[in-house]
Amino acid sequence: MNNNTMDADEPLGDPRATLALLEGQQRQVLNAQQTPVIWMYLIWGITWFVGFLALWSGDADGNPWFTIPAYVATPVFIVMLVASIVASAVLGVRINRGVRGASVFSGAVYGLSWTACGTAFAILGTGLISQGLSPELANLYFPAAYALMCGTIYLGGAALWRNISQLVLGLVLLAVGAASAFAGSPGNDLVLALGVGGAFLIAAGTLAVRRRQGR
Amino acid sequence: MDELDPVIHASARLKITATLATLPVGDQIAFPRLQELLGMTAGNLSTHLRKLEDAGYVDVVKSHQGRTPVTYLALSRSGRRAFEDYLEALRALLGESA
Repeated sequence: MNNNTMDADEPLGDPRATLALLEGQQRQVLNAQQTPVIWMYLIWGITWFVGFLALWSGDADGNPWFTIPAYVATPVFIVMLVASIVASAVLGVRINRGVRGASVFSGAVYGLSWTACGTAFAILGTGLISQGLSPELANLYFPAAYALMCGTIYLGGAALWRNISQLVLGLVLLAVGAASAFAGSPGNDLVLALGVGGAFLIAAGTLAVRRRQGR
Repeated sequence: MDELDPVIHASARLKITATLATLPVGDQIAFPRLQELLGMTAGNLSTHLRKLEDAGYVDVVKSHQGRTPVTYLALSRSGRRAFEDYLEALRALLGESA
């Protein structure tokens, strides 16, 4: 190694060690960005999985093994949903904190799309109910609409950041959300718990394992 | 080609440039966040950033968030090119094709 290329007080090892230091640092930066994403997938995985299993078990025609009173199942679902939304907002802000510039606009539009689409689907559902949509069909519409919303936005995220996990997750969510209505109510709750919740949990697990293996 | 750029070839500055190179072109990072990602003291980071700035590799933008002054940093065009050349030279030393 050429001595005049080095600072005396900061010796660098051979080229292989230098390259490892460089790549290790870049991996650390990417990991720091990815940690909140893994948490988000985990949180939403638990919410879809436990929340919709609770709803399914809260319906007399649902879970054949045991039933949870609806006055317990519904609040459990709502509390988990609200907690997940709050956690996502907090984690979302952390992903790119301290950074400004060209990519901030993309990130802000991506963040806004969750709120905008979430509100639009809620208003559409309320409008449909006001026009006579039955509670049974509303039970099919709302969860499917939100699975489709998540799937669509994840496809947008995949395009923005060339992110494979969002691409796969988006496609699975679209497929499960679209198919869930065919199971009828409350069978759709089980389909969404397993399909959407499972997809989020697998995504969180896969990213965590790949991260531990150094990608 | 196998002469490694002495501005980058020091562990602290190598880590700084490698970190800044992960930012998309057009983005800047706040000094405290960069410090957190590098695990360096503010004084040490400032010293090495000044050397990179003097070489024209880093653009430093002083800004304000409310009344708090914040310094934003990014690789300059020549800094990004120097980092890519450095990486290429390093790989060439290892016998890897660029």
